[in-house]
Amino acid sequence: MTRRNSVFYWMTIPAVLLFFLFHTFPALQGVYYSFTNWNGYGHSYDFIGLKNYFYLFQDGNVWNSYWFTFKFSIVTMILINVISLLIALGLNARIKSRNFFRAVYFLPNILSVLIVGYIFNYLFSNVFPIWGANLGSETLAGNILGSGKLAWIGVTLVAVWQGIAFNTILYLSGLQTIPTDIYEASNLDGASRWQEFWRITFPMIAPFFTINMVLAMKNSLMVFDLIVALTNGGPGRATQSISHLIYTGGFQGGEFAYQSANSVIYFIVIALISIVQIRFLQRRETEMS
Amino acid sequence: MRRLRKTLCLAMALLLPGSLLTSCGGGESDAGKVRIEFFQNKPEAKASFDKLIAKFNAENPGIEVTQVNPPDAETVLLTRVVKNDEPDIVGMGATDTFSVLSQSGIFEDLTNQPLLEGVNPVYVKQLTDVSGMREITGVPYATNANGIMYNKQIFRELNLQVPKTWDELIATAKAVKEAGIIPFYFTYKDDWQTNLPFNALGPNLVGNDFFQARRSGETTFKENFREVAEKMLALLDYGHNDNFGKTYADGNRAFARGEAAMYIQGTWAIPELRKTNPNLELGFFPFPTGNNADQVHLVSGVDTLLTITKSSEHKEEAAQFIEFLLKPENIGQYIEEQTAFSAVEGVEQKDPAVAELQPYFEQGRFVDFADHFIPQAVQLNSIVQSFLQNGNIDDFLGTLDREWDKVANRRQTH
Amino acid sequence: MRSRRINWTVTILVALGTLFILFPLYMAITISLKNQEDMLGSVFGLPTHWRFENYAEAIKMTNFFQALGNSAFVTIATAVLTLLTNSLVSYAIARNMDRKFFKGLYFYFISAMFIPFPIIMLPIVKLTSGLGMTNLVGLTILHTVYGLAFNVFVYVGYIRSIPTALEEAAKVDGASTWGTFWRIIFPLMMPINATVGILICLSTYNDFLLPLIIISDQDKYTLPLVQYIFQGQFNTEFNLAFASYLLAMLPMILVYVFAQKWIINGVTQGAVK
Repeated sequence: MTRRNSVFYWMTIPAVLLFFLFHTFPALQGVYYSFTNWNGYGHSYDFIGLKNYFYLFQDGNVWNSYWFTFKFSIVTMILINVISLLIALGLNARIKSRNFFRAVYFLPNILSVLIVGYIFNYLFSNVFPIWGANLGSETLAGNILGSGKLAWIGVTLVAVWQGIAFNTILYLSGLQTIPTDIYEASNLDGASRWQEFWRITFPMIAPFFTINMVLAMKNSLMVFDLIVALTNGGPGRATQSISHLIYTGGFQGGEFAYQSANSVIYFIVIALISIVQIRFLQRRETEMS
Repeated sequence: MRRLRKTLCLAMALLLPGSLLTSCGGGESDAGKVRIEFFQNKPEAKASFDKLIAKFNAENPGIEVTQVNPPDAETVLLTRVVKNDEPDIVGMGATDTFSVLSQSGIFEDLTNQPLLEGVNPVYVKQLTDVSGMREITGVPYATNANGIMYNKQIFRELNLQVPKTWDELIATAKAVKEAGIIPFYFTYKDDWQTNLPFNALGPNLVGNDFFQARRSGETTFKENFREVAEKMLALLDYGHNDNFGKTYADGNRAFARGEAAMYIQGTWAIPELRKTNPNLELGFFPFPTGNNADQVHLVSGVDTLLTITKSSEHKEEAAQFIEFLLKPENIGQYIEEQTAFSAVEGVEQKDPAVAELQPYFEQGRFVDFADHFIPQAVQLNSIVQSFLQNGNIDDFLGTLDREWDKVANRRQTH
Repeated sequence: MRSRRINWTVTILVALGTLFILFPLYMAITISLKNQEDMLGSVFGLPTHWRFENYAEAIKMTNFFQALGNSAFVTIATAVLTLLTNSLVSYAIARNMDRKFFKGLYFYFISAMFIPFPIIMLPIVKLTSGLGMTNLVGLTILHTVYGLAFNVFVYVGYIRSIPTALEEAAKVDGASTWGTFWRIIFPLMMPINATVGILICLSTYNDFLLPLIIISDQDKYTLPLVQYIFQGQFNTEFNLAFASYLLAMLPMILVYVFAQKWIINGVTQGAVK
């Protein structure tokens, strides 16, 4: 029995060490630097206590990036889930060439976010304005990524375009687990389609709904590639996400420690959200077992 | 099964030290050549440098220079400095990033080096003004000018003269607009483009001494930059219908195709314009910032300076390459292709497109870009970009002061 | 009874929906084949001359095959390393969840799923350069380590659904724990291995941020990084840029066309388990 024990330990030790070295240790270092004034490359630095955190809370740019990131994430999450559920319902109906359509809808998921962003960047400046002009709208006849008020909508649209792929597939597999005889029973009751959806379909796929919400939210809170490809945070700072602020600020003159403090705050925020989400996950697991 | 396990352990054991070794072996390639990495920040200049590098490599079989030219190069460069992985030679503008890196001791001290011998001292002074150091940490190479390009054909057709004062500029723009042509092709989707007018208006209307005074806290943007802000806004009336939707690349294409009469831009864009339309009839005049034509200074700064990093293992060969670039025939070729101006004395820019600027250089009537004195962390570009969108002058100047102080506070805690 | 007939209304709606997905790709393909003159003409039209030279030029300009090689190396190496190591760790954890150490380990790993990457982004740059890992091997190790959190979560869930009877029988026959794992458990894990493999391939191949901060040598750039680097050089030549984008996405698209069912099933498994 003891031999067996030690083997199991040996199986995990290398991974634990590597994980500690490349994940936990840098995370702790980040916390450490956040109490200094290091610029990342100078030869010396001092401890400045909580000063970085103090400045952080007064920094409009930080608040701005949180505001953008949350606005973007929540809207993206809702749109992705509504649209992909609709598509999944469509795909689950008795339609022709279902597998072909399923493959097409999933396609965006395998593409690089950065490149998708570059393609859309072109469309926003050269194609969509033509449609906008045809619609007779002055705002839409321009590049909405250039507008301080509308740029975030442009970013959201691209995120949704790509994000629905994954969630559609998940909803579809959820829908396929529902036995058809349940519907047959409800048909006898004379329930309408709408009632049928809310009474049977939705409760049955609720676990999928939870996980889709979690995944969509998590991805959009981290948004970086898309910002780089579409707006680089602009115009002004209208679409600067938290990750983008930490990257650009952290590596530009003198903000290494300061942005480390920012990422510590970011971590705390994500941790709080995650605790709520883990609760959901756990409840789901108990439901399933 | 045994074998598989062994291979796995072996692979794990090999992977780590393997990776440790691969980067330590850098510097010299298989052929025993000295490898020099030349990092530069101008995408427009990549092809020109590639040609010169090919020539140098052919002449010096023992050395192999390679060029690296990423977008957002200053951020990438700083990332590499954080990694202690500096390239051997850096080519960049005389910007705040240059200043920060110089002060952090990243670059070699080149004071009294023979490399600086033929270089115009005015530009060397621009460098030390920006870095705020006595040591000279870079060799000025090429300089540029920021002003207003115009389409000579359109000016001829509309019977327009080159404006010499601010009022004339606005009158010209009005006339162009009335003729149904776009007066200025603004490319404000790219934030760095928005501060081109700022860079011209600031040094002429306020003066770059302001930044010294601002650093010591004697004055504020709010007290001095109102006129600059007002004039920047005034220009927006003479743009096209999507000023904030077009990028620098879009603008080059559109202006080269004759879609607008004027283009507030730097000389660096000329090669790009000619790529789209080699027959473009192009003129270039200094930004008329005020109403006294004699007081207008051309905005011109060091576009490319060359530095050697302290960590370079091949400083001699790096210096050799810089010396090569500075040779009159090579810098001549470079400035001709780039429509830049030479920091080496006696090498002149003969391109007719920029002929109108020559007198300003000869009379020494030029000043450096305003943003060379503003810390990168202030993020001037994005502040100006949002200001032009919302048009709120008080908010703009307030933000500039606030961001400046914030960055200064953070830097002072050293 | 539900009708067995095909619902044409929904079919048409679903088909129309795919236009939204396909339109950007249609634009990318047509633009990549246009010449400079066509670029000035109709935005939506097909090219008048199909200019395949754009692809040749893009390949030459971006040194495509080198980047492809780099991406392929990182992707395949990460996938192999992930499958071999992560499954092993997960097995040890899954079979010892009653022990404090392993249970703690489980939560230690999966809690990392919720740590935002930016918090380690700045220090990891210093760390990897200090260790001389700013290269493809370093990138592979980092991808493998950062995938651990999610993979352990997926694997452990799956392994716990495998009955222990087989292992106990093997133990009675005198097989070692290692032997049991490789001979009995690992083959049983093939469906979930496929899932993990597909997901890690997709995320590694398409990743941009990690190579951006880790790799400095231009010869080691991966495909997405190359697209980023060449933004400045493409400048006004969108046809070249689009040819380059499509080339970068092509390998994944090809794999997808041939293994589409398998990939979709694999991905679904991962999220549902």
